[in-house]
Order: sequence, then structure tokens, then C-alpha cells
Amino acid sequence: MLDRRRFANLPWGMIGLVCVIALIGLSAVYSATYTVKGPSPLYYKQLLWVSIGVIIMFLALIPDYHTVGRYAYLLYAASLFLLILVMVIGRAGMGAQRWLAIGPFAFQPSELAKLSLTLALARYFAEDPKRGGYCLRDLAIPGIMVLIPLVFVLKQPDLGTALMLILTSALIVMIAGLRIRSAFIMILSGAIIISAVFLVSPVRNRIWGSLKPYQQNRIRAFIDPGSDPLGSGYHANQSKIAVGSGQITGKGFRKGTQSQMAFLPERHTDFIFAVIAEERGFIGTGIMILLYLILLLIGVDAAKNAKDRLGVLMASGIVSMISLYVFINVGMAVGIVPVVGVPLPLVSYGGTSIITTFIALGLLLNIQTRRFMLFY
Amino acid sequence: MNQQDSPVDIQRRLPFLAAFIILFTLILFIRLWYLQAVKGEYYHDQAESNRIRPVKIRPPRGIIYDRSGRPIVENVLTFDVSLVPEDAQDLDAIIGKLSTIVKLPPESIRTALDDAAAVRTKYEPLKIREEAPWDEVAFVEAHQEDLAGAIIEPEHRRHYPYAGLASHQLGYIGKVSPSQRKQEQTDIGLLTGQGGLEKVYDKYLRGIAGRRMIQVNAAGRKVKDLGIEEPRPGTDLYLTIDLDVQKAAEEALGERQGAVVAMDPNSGEIIALASHPNYDPNLFPRGISPKDWVRLTNDPTHPLYNRAIQSVYPPGSTFKIIVALAGLESGVIKLDDKVTCRGYIQSGKHSFRCWKKGGHGTISFHQAVVESCDVYFYTMGERIGWDRIAQYAKKLGYGSLTGIPLPDEKPGLIPTTEWKKEKMKDAWYAGDTYINSIGQGFVLVSPIQACQMISAVANGGYFYRPTLLKKTRNRETGAVQVFAPERVNRIVLDSSALEEVRKALAGVVSEPGGTGHAAQIPFVTVAGKTGTAQVIAQKVPGRKLSGSTQDHAWFIAYAPVDDPKIAVAVLVEHGGHGGGAAAPVARRVIEEYMKNAGSKTVR
Repeated sequence: MLDRRRFANLPWGMIGLVCVIALIGLSAVYSATYTVKGPSPLYYKQLLWVSIGVIIMFLALIPDYHTVGRYAYLLYAASLFLLILVMVIGRAGMGAQRWLAIGPFAFQPSELAKLSLTLALARYFAEDPKRGGYCLRDLAIPGIMVLIPLVFVLKQPDLGTALMLILTSALIVMIAGLRIRSAFIMILSGAIIISAVFLVSPVRNRIWGSLKPYQQNRIRAFIDPGSDPLGSGYHANQSKIAVGSGQITGKGFRKGTQSQMAFLPERHTDFIFAVIAEERGFIGTGIMILLYLILLLIGVDAAKNAKDRLGVLMASGIVSMISLYVFINVGMAVGIVPVVGVPLPLVSYGGTSIITTFIALGLLLNIQTRRFMLFY
Repeated sequence: MNQQDSPVDIQRRLPFLAAFIILFTLILFIRLWYLQAVKGEYYHDQAESNRIRPVKIRPPRGIIYDRSGRPIVENVLTFDVSLVPEDAQDLDAIIGKLSTIVKLPPESIRTALDDAAAVRTKYEPLKIREEAPWDEVAFVEAHQEDLAGAIIEPEHRRHYPYAGLASHQLGYIGKVSPSQRKQEQTDIGLLTGQGGLEKVYDKYLRGIAGRRMIQVNAAGRKVKDLGIEEPRPGTDLYLTIDLDVQKAAEEALGERQGAVVAMDPNSGEIIALASHPNYDPNLFPRGISPKDWVRLTNDPTHPLYNRAIQSVYPPGSTFKIIVALAGLESGVIKLDDKVTCRGYIQSGKHSFRCWKKGGHGTISFHQAVVESCDVYFYTMGERIGWDRIAQYAKKLGYGSLTGIPLPDEKPGLIPTTEWKKEKMKDAWYAGDTYINSIGQGFVLVSPIQACQMISAVANGGYFYRPTLLKKTRNRETGAVQVFAPERVNRIVLDSSALEEVRKALAGVVSEPGGTGHAAQIPFVTVAGKTGTAQVIAQKVPGRKLSGSTQDHAWFIAYAPVDDPKIAVAVLVEHGGHGGGAAAPVARRVIEEYMKNAGSKTVR
């Protein structure tokens, strides 16, 4: 339980940082969704999610993270079940079937899958240490653990989440430790697979053909954004215009023409960073990524100070996951990453993403507060 | 803590994770600096133009008036049903609805959209139904809510109230071709001059498009009006054409093929210019139907052809004016020199006939012109020498362009001995001199050249570039630009020689035995020369000629004799004799003009 000693030792700096980022996010959502009649109901919904998220973050401090680790496989299985469920009874949107309706709320199981996979992998590698690192044979079971949700997510199809699953898992494996030879083989085979996809035309055509038109267009637009600025490259172009036109000081709160006049698509979800950039300028974006940097480095520090393998792997897995979210989302907004549609942690509109991020951060805090404790 | 649970080996790798995070943060930081600080200005401009959409407002085209201010080409306000596909929420639905309103198959609307795809810019309206009837316009206006994307465009439609009248100089307007569009950056629905004066003076007539600036959101929906830049209407043209004379010329030509050019010999102003058959320019602004186009272009009588400037004919006996001037000036022809005409002349094995069977008997210069004796001019032509005649012909403008501001003028041909050697690989024979001296053989002249030549004879040797534009008037400012006559040349002609030729030309119309009797007008003296241009080389005795083998009839004239105010050239294709077929046309034209001479000035 949360005793007084742990409460006094809570890293209030990190908690404050999380809250500042979440508040900036709330103001951005307020601006991006503002309607002629006043603040949008979406804003109040987001306010509710953030409030719940903060509470959940504190609740996530209570159990021992080892208990969480014990339930990791169960959680993983549950999220697989939900992924299957979403395929059967899910709600479609934007050409993909991603949401589960729970009363008035739409729940996105793929968001949960990211967190549960991270936790499950952390437990797996924590319980199966290998001296001198893992070789390829040792990675068979974790590989299958990644592959199952990956197939479901691709089936939705949700390219962004699939990418996140792969990259997050890869980072966890790297941190867990690979034999040099295995790492080399993995990188090489990855390179071969990627070049096969790009260079061998039957393979490429097969994969290309299996993509939805909007996905094909997004990839095409990333390769040559100027080719059709009003068609497929629209998202990326409008986002770049929004970011760039914010200049140094920004256009001011709710004064961003790109976002206020709806030139910017997905402005309260995937492109929320562009709204901040347009309204707050480089000063705003600079502060924003600095806040993320500090938060993530504190997370790395928590992993470093963790007292056992599970703690280190869980913390670094969570940090990896959040950092990838941030980099891919912001990279997308500034046009250096293809438009794949991932939320900006703590900021983008969306209940599932907000809640899972707060849970993840709560676990991170949990690990950090238990660094002085002895368990054995 | 047992060995197995030691996290030390994992923690060794955490600095790499930190480095990874710092590296990516740095990349984002640099990228943001680049976008927001370095390129900020550029994206700022992009954002500005992003939300302001200009909507073009087409200017009304300039009106064309005749010399006394009567409109010959005007604009009529009509309404078109157009489609802005970008504004449609459901394009298929809107096409379906529109197709029932304007009663067009949906496929044809879709085809029109596809066809325009390559040239249309975003938000440029595409015309679905031009000149829509009132009920369709009213329906679309009333149901704007359900018909997002469909708009009504008011349009100043070009209208030619006299249909075919003067069609060849007025020309027509039509859709800009894709290549023109690329060159001039015009918008898709713009109609520009594609022929005649509509084309030549398009820069005056077109006007400057206005713009309505509207603020839109990403869906293209209008948020508010930001202001309007009114279109500048095209400049009005006042032509030198006299509507009454033009009508008279065309009525006199009637159903016959041919051309009439009437000019003020003292300025080069074209009073009337007709070419028959003509066409109705009203067919074009709506976008001519393929059927009509095929009919016009495949018509064996070539109605699109401007015969007054694009067709060249043997000048026939009208050419004798040149020979007469060349002979008198060079002193080869003496007024009293007599030639005996027996109806033919022998040159080697060939004999060359005079048009008058049995001949003119003994004849001198004046009578030879009046009665158009061929034998006299065969003889004199030989004495003068062809190259000297050719030199005079060229001096009088034959073989070169008059410079009338209409497209595709043809220069005709004045042959020389040199030319024949080069082109035909043959020597110039006496027979060539004979037949070319009476305007047959190789000589080719256009009606406008003949009119310019007779003008110079009438005014004492001045050459004016034929003009059609008297002045322009800006409808907004009222600013007027007057175009002065442009004298291009003065040829020095011996005044006594010129006097004799003029006297003879007056005799052609007024004296007994003159070939141009039919041009006599009670209240004004006329001087002129008939011509009959053979279509086939030599007449077969006894064979009746008809239809397309019949001769072309020429009459070129000026009036009044003492103070020329109008010069006319008439050509009637396959009309027969110049005196019979062409002279009456010239008479009608001169009569109409002289009736009101002086009373009609440009307002």
C-alpha cells in the first residue's frame, strides 16, 4: 500500500511534468475543437479522460509492480481477445475497423495491446535471463508474442499501431540484450526483408495490392509530397504549412488559421502538435519537446535505478514506447515521417490513448518509488 | 539478491536508450527550427493564400459598332448552370440531380468533367448547361441547399444580331484551345476571338477579369466575402464599316459566290467588305456543334473563306488599267496611235481572240479602254514589254499584301519572265505577254488588292493600308483612341497619263459602247472597269458555259469621278460578264454610300 514513506518520496517533479504536458494538450484540444457555439463537447470529454487518467496514474502506484508483472500475460491475453472482438463487432471509421463501443464510449483495443505487449515482453525477458545475451532461438516465443497482435492490428488495418508494436518490441529486445551475432543477423535479415519489399516487384506488388487505397496514397504522398498537394499529400502539406506558419512566436491561442478554418485534418488527434506549433510558434514547440525530453530521461533514470530485471525492463519498455509515440507523431507533423496515424501521448484527443499513457506513466512512477525497497 | 536477478547487464545498455532519445529530440528540434524560423515566412504566405480563394468574374466583351455607332456585335446576358466539383459533398449525387434538372444524361456531364480535368484548376466552375432556360435557373437557385457545388453563372453572351452579315471581317469567338490556354494562362470557360476582328482586336475586346476574394475553409465552403475587384469591361470598337452599305453589298451579291470591297480612297477605311457565302458567327460562342462544324468545313463553297482577301483570281480586263498606265507613262502608248482589231491577233501558229467577234475595227486608246478591246491591249502589251507591265503592277500593289488587319491575306501573283523561267522551266513567249496583258494566264489578284489599286488611281497615287478600325472607346472612362489613316506609300504617276486613264474609266460607265453601263447612277458619276476572268483557258466556240466553268465577273470602280469618295471592287464567281454581273453590285454599293455621303460621320 501507499505508505507515508513512499508518498513522501513520490517524484513530484515528474508528476508535475506530466500534468503540465497534459494541460498544454488540453488547451490545444480546446482550441482545435472550438466551435462557433463555444467549446466543443470533445473538449469536455478530453477533460474527463485526463482527470480520470491522473487518478489512474496514482492508482497504478498502489500495487507492487511485481504484481502487475504477474498479471502481464493475463492482460496480454485479454487485449488479444479484445482485438479479436473488435474485428467481429467493431466500429469502422476512416476505412479501418478499430473501435469497440462501450456505452457512449469508443474503446480502441490496439492502444491497450501496445501497453500489454510491452509488459508481457518485460516479464518474459525478466524471467528468462541469458548470460551473454539472447540468441535467435531464444527469441522464438517473444517473436510469436509480437506476431499475434501484429496480425490482428494489420488486419484492421492500422499501419501506425503495427509499426509501433514492431519498433517498441525491437527496442525492448535490444535493451534485454542480444548476442552480437544474433543482433547482426537480425539487422541483416530485417534489411533483406525491407529491401525485398521495396525492390522485388512481385513481393512489392503483393504487399502494395493488399494495402487500402488511403494507405497507398499516404505512402505515395510521403515519397513525393508535391505530387498531389490537394489529394494524398494533403495531410502532410497542410501540417507543414501549419507548423511553419507559426514561425517563432506563433499566431496566438485560437488564432491559427490552419486549424481554426479546418485546413488541417485530424487536428485534435494525430495532428494536434501542428495546432500547438501554429499557435505557439517555435517557442511553444521547443518547450514542448524539451518537456518530453526531460520526462523521458527521468524515465530512463527510473529504469537505471530499478532494483531488478523486471523493473528495468518494464521501465525502459514504457519509456521506449512513449518516446516512439512522441517521435513518430511529431515527425509526422513536421513531415519527416510518413503519415501513419499515431497519437501524441498525453496530448492527442482520445480516451484509450490518454488512459493507457497514464497507466504506463503510473507504472513508471511505481518502479521509481520502489527503488529503495528490498524484496528478498 | 541472487545473481540471476541482477539487472546490471541490462542497465549497461540504458545510456544507449538515453542517447537514442536525445538524438531524436535533436532531430525534431532542428527540423522545427528549419520549418518555423528558416522557412517560417514562406509557410506563413502559404497559410495566407490557403484560406483566401479568388473567384474570377468574367468581364463583358467590348461591343462592336459600325461607323455611325450602330451595334453590329453585342452582348446578351444569359445564365449558365455550372458545377464546382470541389464544392460538391457527393459528386455522383449532384451529377444525378443536375442531369435531371438540365435534361442531360449523367454520363455526358461526367465526360465533360473528365475532359476538363487536365486543364481545369481547382474550384474553377465547369459549365454544364449554357444559356439555361429560366425554369432551370430558378430551380437551381431555389434549391441551393441540396445542390452544393451547382452554381448559376451569369454570362455576357456574344450575339451577332445580323447573323451572317459581315461575318468574315467580324469573325467569331470560341473556347480557348488547350495550347492557347497554356500560352496565355486564361481560364477554362473564357471565350476569345478565334477569327476576324474578334481575333485581331481581342486585346481590346477582352477586358480584364475581376475577382471576388472569398475566405474559405478546407472543405471549400465560403466563410465570408473579403471584397470584390470589379471586372473591367472590354473596350468598344467603332469600325469603319457602314452598316447600310454592307447590307447593300450583301443583298446585291445575293446567293451568288463572290466578294465586295468598298473603301474610302482618301483614307483606306473599309466601308464594306463582304464575302459570300457567309456563315452565322452565332454558331460559335456556344461551342459549335460537330455537325455544324463539319457542314461548314466540308461545304464545297467554303463559307468560312474570306474571298475578299483570301481568294485570288485572274483580274481579267481590269488589268488593262495597269497596262494603260504603264504604256502612257513610258510613252509607248500615244493617245492617237491606232490599232485595227479584226477580232483576233495572230502570233506564230496561235491566234488570240478579242472578246468581240468581228472585232472593234480601227481603235485608239480611249475607245479601247471604254470598249475593253483585247486586240489593242495584246498589241500594246507586246510593245511595252511584259516585265515593264509587271513592274507597274507591283508598284500598284499587286503581288503583295495590302496589310488589311485580318488574318490570312493572300498576296496573289504577278509573274515575270524570270519567274516563269524559274518556276515553269520555260521561256516567256509573246503569247504569255498577250494573255497576261488582258489579265489572264498567270496573273492573280485578290478583291482587296483590286480595290486598293483603283483607290490609288482615284486619289492620284496614294496607298493607304486598308483599315477597319476607326476608334476605340473605353466604356468606363470614356477615353477614345482614334486611329488615323496609315499611308504606306505614294507612287509617282504622270498626271496627264493618270488623267487620260480616269477619263477612259469614266467613259466605260457613261459613254455609248462602254462595258460598264450597268453601273450608271443618276445622281453621281462613276468611273470603272469591267473584267471577265476566264475559268477555263480557251473558249471552245459554240460551247455554252455554265456553273463552275462560267467566267468570273469583275468590276472595279470609284465615284464620284471628280472627287472620289468611294472605291469599290466586286467579284462574282462564275457570274459571267463583268458588265452584266458585277457592275450592278458596284452600283448598289456606290448608290447606297453616296445617297448619305457626308451625313454619316462617326459619332
